[in-house]
Amino acid sequence: MRVLALHPEKCTGCLRCELACSYVQTGAFQPAKSVIRVAPFEGHTSYAPYTCTQCAEGWCMTACPVGAITLNAAGAKAVLDDRCVGCKLCTIACPYGTMFYDPGTRKAFKCNLCDGAPACAEACPTAAITYEETATADWLGDFAHERTARLLEAR
Amino acid sequence: MARRHLIIGGGTAGINAIRTIREEERERSAITLVSAERPYSRMVLPYYLDRSIAESHVYTASPRVLADWGVTAHVGRRATALDAKAGACTLDDGTTVEYDDCLIATGSSPVRAPVPGADGRAVHSFWTLDEARGVLAGIRPRSHVVLVGAGFIAFTILNSILALGARLTIVEVERRILPRMIDDTGAGLVARWLADHGVTVRAGVRLTRIEDAKGGKRLVFAAGAPIVCDLVIMATGIKTNLDWLQGAGVAVNRGVVVDDHLRSSVPNVYAAGDVAEGRDRISGEAAVHAIEPTAQEHGRVVGANMAGRDVRYRGSVIVNIVEVCHLDVASFGAWDDPKAEAASGLKADRPAYRKLLWRGDRLTGAIILGPSSDIWTTNDVGMLKGLVQSGVALGRFRAHLEANPFDVKPAFIASRTTSTLLDETVLGRPAMAPGDTPVAV
Repeated sequence: MRVLALHPEKCTGCLRCELACSYVQTGAFQPAKSVIRVAPFEGHTSYAPYTCTQCAEGWCMTACPVGAITLNAAGAKAVLDDRCVGCKLCTIACPYGTMFYDPGTRKAFKCNLCDGAPACAEACPTAAITYEETATADWLGDFAHERTARLLEAR
Repeated sequence: MARRHLIIGGGTAGINAIRTIREEERERSAITLVSAERPYSRMVLPYYLDRSIAESHVYTASPRVLADWGVTAHVGRRATALDAKAGACTLDDGTTVEYDDCLIATGSSPVRAPVPGADGRAVHSFWTLDEARGVLAGIRPRSHVVLVGAGFIAFTILNSILALGARLTIVEVERRILPRMIDDTGAGLVARWLADHGVTVRAGVRLTRIEDAKGGKRLVFAAGAPIVCDLVIMATGIKTNLDWLQGAGVAVNRGVVVDDHLRSSVPNVYAAGDVAEGRDRISGEAAVHAIEPTAQEHGRVVGANMAGRDVRYRGSVIVNIVEVCHLDVASFGAWDDPKAEAASGLKADRPAYRKLLWRGDRLTGAIILGPSSDIWTTNDVGMLKGLVQSGVALGRFRAHLEANPFDVKPAFIASRTTSTLLDETVLGRPAMAPGDTPVAV
């Protein structure tokens, strides 16, 4: 399966991924609705994008009481809007914090890999986000460990 | 002869067990389901109550789907006796079902406050689909509804009652709301939030009787003025459905006692969901976790073991979330552990509140409140769950979280929690999509 590989050392924090994601997912440029989110590290001196890993367990999918989260053609866990009732069980089941909820539509939403053509990877100018045939991984752990630790030590 | 599995109870645990048997088995088995009601999801009844979904949306397995899964279904029937020694279960119509292994997943039932009038006209429970229909039929715009009990179940239907245009009063015998879900500070915030949204809360009052009053109902208390209303909903707790197991030969404590494979004291009898006393993953102690995620995980583990796999369950984590007039309220794990160290942060104007609890450098419990329109609240709900579930050693990042309870993400990522979590699956393999359950040939 192809997944979003994240290369934090290449991220400049330009937020184009958030714009592209929200545009493809919702039809409008509204980063607040993006399901990939750029996090600052080291006191806003470095950045990294963070999104759903498409984990094997699929905690969101197994938790959904009405079968509203399923696998799409790209192999991504995807929310079926006409099934989702907005109960938020997925938001509390997902241990990665990558489920979202829209109070306007009363639906959960998440990364569905844009059905196989992820807009974030397409938009990233530095190839910090690539769409690759590889095992999903903890892309940010080592990067964040080093940078956050450095910040803590500086205090 | 094909192996005969008997699933007693068509709720979340039972249906997940059936699906997992079909996903896992190498040889086709015979599955029989006994379910007092048509299988549906209790989780979504509040959305049926506020009319945002049709009744058809609540069902988890229609007769057609059960037939596709090759299930012999006794729907509308209750199990009345289990003879574990003989491997047989008796139903309320006298039918006897023999099995090679069986799952007890009979759930729990609502309990009403033991006061005169509790079983009277216009006094409802909200637990089953039938009861949801009753409440829906009884509420009119501008009805005055009184919720007796301010626990999780009451709060799941609070928004729905308001959405129907009703006026709402909540009464609670304990001195504050949500006593088993959040702490005093959180409860205080929610109480003020409710007042701002026109909901009246009377905590610390003891209901003594409910009487008829001019077409409505009058609730009388040990002290203070009575309340006159149109409809009463009793959300005063639940009890585990164990009575029918007397004489079954299965060890019972607060629930059916199960081991780490969810087997009872009788090896070919399993229990799952509200009726099972399994393991709390955080404390390691035996506990009944009457919540949807536990029923789902229990059911899947039992299904795999019934199908011949050897799946050990690591225990369940208490997780609860309710939305109260667009305020998210959630708690996880050992949020009320008096022996834990705690750090908290409060932004009363937003309102937002976090409480984090530690044993050493591991997060063992958390409380989080914040506006549901706030993306960071939703994301932090998940990450706090991940930290509690994984028990990852936070090391120096504990200090960061203590100083900044609202800045969960850097600590979550930097402690490589994702790496720990990616290795974990409930069944030791990727989960199957809900529509991919193998159908009968």
